[in-house]
Parts: sequence; C-alpha cells; structure tokens
Amino acid sequence: MKVNYRLQDRFDFFIFIPLMVLIVLGLLGIYSSTVNHPTANGNFERQFSWALISMIVFFIVYFLPPQVFKSYSLTGYIFSIILLILVLAIGKTVYGAKSWFSFGFAGFQPSEFAKIGTILFLASWLSKDNVDINDPKTLFKCIAIGFLPILLILLEPDMGTSMVFMVIILFMLFWKGLSLFGLFVVLSPGIVLFSSLFGKIIMFIMLALILLVLILFKRNIFTSVTVMVINLGTGFVFDIVYKILKPHQQKRIDAFLDPMADPLGSGYNALQAKVAIGSGGIFGKGFMGGNQTQLRFIPQQWTDFIYSVIGEEFGFIGSLLVLTMFLIIFVRLLNLSKQANGSFESLVTIGAFGLFFAHFAFNIGMNLGITPVVGLPLPLLSYGGSSLLVNLVMVGILMNFYKSRRLYD
Amino acid sequence: MNDLSFGSALRSKIFYLLIFFFFSASFFQLFKMQIINQKNYEIKSEENSIKEVPIVPPRGLFYDRFFNLIVGNKSAFTLEIVPAFYNKQYNSIIEKMLEVPEGYINKIFNKDKNYSKFLPRKIMRGLSPKFIAWFEENKSQLKGVDYIVEMQRDYSYGISGSHMFGYTKEISLNQLKLFKGIYEMGDYVGNNGIEKTYEMYLHGIKGAKLFMVDSKQQVIGRYENGEQDIQPRKGYDLVLTIDKDAQQIAEQLFIGKKGGLVAIEPETGEIIAFVSAPEYDLSTFASFTSGNQWKELINDPDKPMFNRASMSQLPPGSTFKMIGAVAALEEGIIDTNFTLGCGGGFQFGNRFFKCTHTHGRVNVIEAIEKSCNTFFYQIILKVGFDKWSEYGKKFGFGEKTGIDISEEARGIMPNSSYFNKVYGKNGWTQGYVVSLGIGQGEVSATPLQLAKYCALIANFGKTKQPHFLKGFVRNDNNQFIPSNYKQIDIGISRKTMKIVREGMFRVVNGAGTATHVKIDGINVAGKTGTAQNPHGQDHAIFIGFAPYENPKIAVACVVENAGYGATHAAPIVRSVIQAYLQKEVFKKNQLIAKKEAEQ
Repeated sequence: MKVNYRLQDRFDFFIFIPLMVLIVLGLLGIYSSTVNHPTANGNFERQFSWALISMIVFFIVYFLPPQVFKSYSLTGYIFSIILLILVLAIGKTVYGAKSWFSFGFAGFQPSEFAKIGTILFLASWLSKDNVDINDPKTLFKCIAIGFLPILLILLEPDMGTSMVFMVIILFMLFWKGLSLFGLFVVLSPGIVLFSSLFGKIIMFIMLALILLVLILFKRNIFTSVTVMVINLGTGFVFDIVYKILKPHQQKRIDAFLDPMADPLGSGYNALQAKVAIGSGGIFGKGFMGGNQTQLRFIPQQWTDFIYSVIGEEFGFIGSLLVLTMFLIIFVRLLNLSKQANGSFESLVTIGAFGLFFAHFAFNIGMNLGITPVVGLPLPLLSYGGSSLLVNLVMVGILMNFYKSRRLYD
Repeated sequence: MNDLSFGSALRSKIFYLLIFFFFSASFFQLFKMQIINQKNYEIKSEENSIKEVPIVPPRGLFYDRFFNLIVGNKSAFTLEIVPAFYNKQYNSIIEKMLEVPEGYINKIFNKDKNYSKFLPRKIMRGLSPKFIAWFEENKSQLKGVDYIVEMQRDYSYGISGSHMFGYTKEISLNQLKLFKGIYEMGDYVGNNGIEKTYEMYLHGIKGAKLFMVDSKQQVIGRYENGEQDIQPRKGYDLVLTIDKDAQQIAEQLFIGKKGGLVAIEPETGEIIAFVSAPEYDLSTFASFTSGNQWKELINDPDKPMFNRASMSQLPPGSTFKMIGAVAALEEGIIDTNFTLGCGGGFQFGNRFFKCTHTHGRVNVIEAIEKSCNTFFYQIILKVGFDKWSEYGKKFGFGEKTGIDISEEARGIMPNSSYFNKVYGKNGWTQGYVVSLGIGQGEVSATPLQLAKYCALIANFGKTKQPHFLKGFVRNDNNQFIPSNYKQIDIGISRKTMKIVREGMFRVVNGAGTATHVKIDGINVAGKTGTAQNPHGQDHAIFIGFAPYENPKIAVACVVENAGYGATHAAPIVRSVIQAYLQKEVFKKNQLIAKKEAEQ
C-alpha cells in the first residue's frame, strides 16, 4: 500500500531544529569568546566554515542508500583502527595527547571517526541473529571489539574520549539485552576503579559489597572467582595507572577530588567556569558582555567550556535553552530507537545516544562542577571542526534511517 | 517481550530515568548557581577582573585664626613607571636626570614585588621642570614611564612654621601595621608637629580608579569608563589658633638668631605664634628628600630640626622671679609693705650672691620692676625650697603643657627630693637654692612653659591647655567644628596676682628694665630675664603680655647666646604684640619701613 509521505515523515524536525539551535548558540559563544582574542580570533570563521561543510555532508549522508552503513561497517571499523594506530606513530601532539592528524589548514582526530566506525560495527555484529549477549564468550568478543579502540585512544592518551567509548559500548550491550549479571560483570570493575580514587578504605568496602553481590548471584565458582579477581585487580590498577598518567592528567584527577586545593592550577578552569556561569544570573550579562569571558579568565573557553560562555552571557535562560534542546534530542533518539526498522538501526541509534549523552553529561557536569574535569567538548557547540563533522554525520545516519523507515498506516 | 530481551521497555525506561536524573541534577545546580548564589559568584567575578588603583586625596589645609590660608596644597608632577612595559636599561639615565643615587628605581620596584606588574609605581614626587622637559623630549623611547599630577604641600603663604606644622613622610612599616587598611605602601603621613597630631583629620578618604584587568593582570581599560571610580574625599581643613601676622613678624625677627618664641591668648590657651629658630624649609620634605639634604640638616651645628619653642630647656633667669613673689604673697610671708635692702648682693654663708645694681630698700613690686636679685635670693629662703617648688609646679613648670604636638620637653622644677636624688641626701646645702630664686642654676623651662606662665599671670591664674587647633572644617558639609580644651585654674588669689602684675607693668612702664617695649595705645607688661650660660653668651629672655587691663596676648621669647633679655628678646615680643593687637598700625609702619629701605 502506497503511503503519502509528508516532509516531516521523511525528515525529523524534532532532531533537526534543536540541532540547528545548538549549532547557532555554539557559534555565538565561539564568536564572543574569541573575536577579541589575540590568537584565537579566527575561530569563529573557521567554525562557521566547518558548520557549512558539515551541513553539506549531513545531507549527503541523509541521501545515501540505507544499506551502506551496515555493509561497510567492518571496513569502517578496520579503517578506524588503522587510523588510530597511525596517529600514534605520526600524529601531532595537542595538549599532551597524540591524537591529531595535521593537514596544515585543518586538523583531524581519528578518534572522532572511530566513534562512528565502532558504533556501526558493534551494532552490525550485535544485530546478527545468532548472538547471545549473555554467553560469556560472546560478551568477551563484544567487549574486545569495543576495547581495541579504547586501548589505542588510552595510549594517546585521551582519557575523556576513551570514557565516551566505554559509555557507548555499555549502552549498546545493555540495549542488546545484557543480563543483570553481565551488566554487573561489565560495570563492577569501573565502580571499584572509581571508588579507589577516594581511598583504600572506601575501595575495600566496595570490594566487599561486590563479593556479597557475587555470592547472591550464585554463579559457578569459576565464574565468581574470575570476576572477583578482575575486580581486585582493578582496585589496584588506579595506583599503577595514576603513576603512569601524565602530570596534567594526574592534576585533573586531583582537581576533581579537591577542586579548591589548587584554585590557580588545574582546578582553576573549572572554578572560573563556575564563577562565569553563576555570575550570569537569570538573564546573563548579555552577548559579548561577560567579563569572565571577555577578560579571558578561562583558557580555551571556546572548546570544553563553551557552556560557561552561554551561562555567563545568556544566563539561566540561555543555559536552560541548551539543556532543553539536548533533552529534546535525547528523548527523540530513545523514541527512534524503539521505532527503528531493525535491530541494527536501533543499536546504532542507542550508540549515537550514548555518544552524545556521554559528551553532554561529562561536559555539562564539568562546567557545573558536578562531575570530574574531563576534557570533552560539548557536542554541536564546542569549537572543533572534525568533532562537529562527525556529530553531523552521526545525526545524518540516524536521519537516513528515519527517512527509510517503514511507515504503517 | 521479555524484560531482559533486546530493546525492552524496561531498558528504555532505565535510559529515560538516566536522562531524567541528569537533567534534574543539572537544572538544580544551574538554579542554585545562577539564581540562589548569583550574588556570590558576581562578587567573585568582579574581584577577578577589577583592580583598584588608589587616588590619594589632597590633605586638609591649614588656616590661621582669621581663616587666612597658611599651608596649602599645590599640584606637582609625580613620576610613575609601569614595570611590565618598562625596560630597566633606562634606570641609570632616569636616575641621573632625577639626581638620585644609583639603584633608586630598583629599590622601589623591589619594595612591592607582589603588586601587579601592570600597575604603575610612584618613583618620585615633585619633578623638576628640567626633568619634565627632558622627559617630554625622550618620551617615545621611555616606554612605561609617565608622570601624573598629584597634590603636595605648598608652603608659599609667607610663614615657615616648620616646627609646629611638621612635615609628612612616607609611611613606615610599623605605622603600616598599626593602621592596616587605612594606609598602604608609599602613602605619606604626618611625621611630626600638627601634621602628625591631626593626621586622622588631615589624610582624607582615599578614592580609587577602577581598571579592568584580564586573567594575566594586564590592564585592558577603565572600568565602565571611570564612571564607577570612587572619588577621594579631601581631608578636614584645620583652623589653627595661629595669627599669620604675628607669626610672620616673629619669624622675620628671628632670622639669623637661635631661640624660640611662643605667644598665647591667655584666656583660651590658643597659641598665636610659635617660632623655633633657625627654621628649616618644609618644602624640602614635600617631595623627594635626598640623602645630602638630610645630612646637611642633621649635621648643622645650629640644629635647625630641633624644636626650640617647646623642647629647649634653659634656665628662665629673672622671668622666674614672680614664682617667689607669688609664693611669698600667697603664703602670707610678705605683703606689699614688706621690704628688703639691696646693697648690690646677698651674703649667704661664705658665698656672696650678686645683684645687678644697688637697689636700696625695695618691696615686692619694685623688686620685680627693677629685677632685684637680692630680694628674690632671700624670698626663696623665706618661702622654703619645697614650697617655692610647689608654686612653680602650679604654673606648669617641670611638666608638659599637653600642647597638641608631640615634641615637648618637661623642663626641670627642682625641689629637695630632686636635689637629694641628684646630689645625695646631704650632698647639697641651702646655698644651692639661693640662685634658683632668680631662675638660675638647676632650673629649666621651655619657651612654651614660659608663655603659659605669662598667660597665667596675665589672666589671674586661669587659662586653658595651650593648643594650636581652634577647630576643623568637615569635608562633607563644610561645618566648622570647634575643639574644646581643659580649663586650668591654678587657684592663686586675685590680690596676689594684682601685685605681681603691677610689678610687671612697671617693668615696661615705670623705672623698669624694659621701658623700650612700650607701645603707643597699648599697655604692655613684662619681665626681662637673662639666663646664665656657662658655655658661652647668655641667653636673652623676655616674657610679656598686653593689654595690661584685659590681656589678649602673652608672649615668651628666648634668644640663645644673645646677651641681655631686655636688649635682644624684648623688642621681638614688642613687635609680635603690636602685630597682633595693632594690625593696621603695624602694617602701615612696616610699609613705611620698607619704603625707607628702598630709598
């Protein structure tokens, strides 16, 4: 039966309009924080050009045949891994991480591209009919697919991006139907690792709790012991990793644990961002009127702290507008994941949700001082061409799915 | 659909819950930061980005008792350097042009290292026109160097008054600690004299220029175009008790002399003139004072920095005779009928104490009139050493007057316990006491004490604590606030005072020692004195008051190493009295004298 498609049936304005609003807000923030800056004053023009290029690419992706994503997912994944290895060899170091390919006029981060590659490949792999996610071997393979890029990104080292990958993989496995025990196995080392940041006593309490839960699961002795050993190991991983980490990364962890300990050091940016946002009040100090921003109190504010520009200059209203736009996008993504044609499309949607949500939550959380300082850009708003491009490609893929979904009437 | 299966409703709900949880947390945090705690963050943000550069207010001015300006302010150029933009290679050339020692600029930079490098440092006040001219020529090379207009003390109002006014000086570290919050490094505060005593009135309230600085403390511009700058509030103007004319003539007459003069309004204790000679030039201290200038002042054998008017302690000589007279009269030991014979001296034990003349039989009035030593040698013995000393103390000798500058000496008013202390219990005899009766020997007083003593006699034993401050003018509403002082009544009978005063009247108007002090139209009373000086020429002393019937001014004058009081001190007192009481006549006479000198 032929259905008369209306434009909104083919093109999802629930995602596209908030997306455009966020890009415009981001451009305003970048303009305000860089136009008078001695070294970054060309950033607005650059980002604006990237936005135009990204929109073109978005529409190209939107009009691609829907099958290409699944069929080229393995190729994309392998290509991503090669790029990640290459960047370790010949990449350019920016802010202590060897994560960039430099082409003179523009830079490109393979880890951005790898996000799409990993999401598509993991989704296509998980959407195979014979995959039982709760089979330990399968689970191990899934984790391995995700862990390879994470490992390579950790080597750069880029903690923030690898954390985003973890969230993406976790969300996708969860969506696929990971059992409570499986979830426990995947999550518990992370919890132990996190608790070890707060001292040995808290870590041991957490380990004891995990042991208790493990006993309650009543799995066979081999599985239980393996899980417990992994947990015990990660408990001490932090100390080892902390020693391996670069000083600027150590400082970031310290700053999260006690931001006031060194207000002019690594906790400084987060503190100044809070001051910027807090002093904005209800209506903000007006576009180009924020003294924290205009007097450049927050270094590189146009990247990870773009939200503080909006918070200061557009106040509570502007900050809430950003939150609301993201809220609409997230709710819409969850809705789309349920209406998708197949499990591949559904998993990709959840992967994209994980990608955006991880970035969003870590970034906003850092700006508001409710999560650790993790150097992650705010999707669609932060300055950064390859990030914007990849995000729009991602949304383009989702819109492509939306366009080609079957409508029943 | 199983809850554990792919894409189940439960799993979807968990995602919604996650979103809900995070958005709620963000919303509340935003609300807390931007609405509840907005003020705190705003304060922090402004502290961050606004730097205050203090504007020093002009000091309060000094007016004389008739509201004539006597100490003002003038604008002067102050050199400033912003270290961040400045190249230290120019240190030596600037130091040379400023005529300051090498390393001067570095010393200032090092003093406040913690201060933003982008805010200017004051290098020197009171730049010379020569320096300004040189600077203007070489401005383009001297990056970070500039000069600003600042107020500094102006002493060009015809009187010097160095010792009473005092000077201001850069605040010391101790004072900084003491007045935390009021002053900062580089501020000038009163160092001595009136400038010091009334510092709190004079300094005013600082203002501030507000500058925007970025995270590197670099000045970006004025905050809100300077509209929010805090204007400084000028210090309170002081109205002093000084009479400009009297002060001026006293200073002129003291040129080339050493000594001190204090004139007091007897009834009120107001100081009409206060001179210590030689003076020093206060304007030396208004800006930069070089090490050489300092050395010169400190090493000058005439000690110009020494406040003789209230610090020099010399034997008061014959001016002290009224103490014995008052004591003897008050104690009923003598009356006006009591006489003693003067044969040119007084034999006490094996010592002969000389008198200036052979006065024959004199009563107390004549003894004062003619300054008979013989009479007063015996009076002190009749009264008794300690009784005599008690009366001296009543007139304020041996203790500070409490004048409102901190430079004051107490002098010596001896009694038997003092002598016991100095000479041992039996180490002195009555022979030591005799000469005290005529103000010689181990007794000393400051010119200020003598003036107060004279005022007490003039006003029948009543006066107020001597002072310079008549009141001040508030800087907010221009209201004049008069100041109050302690009433002093030493409790001497009017009868006694009348007798003593008559003696002093006759000194000038009878057959006395200072008849040349007479002024047409005003009855002057006084007493000469000559303080013996074992180290050189005697010191000339004169105390006097006028008009006799209703005294308006009491003056004490000491001229060091000059000789007779009548000859050297009395004429100065005469001029001061005339300048104060006969302003018109005095000015006319001065004009005539000036014309004659020109011809």
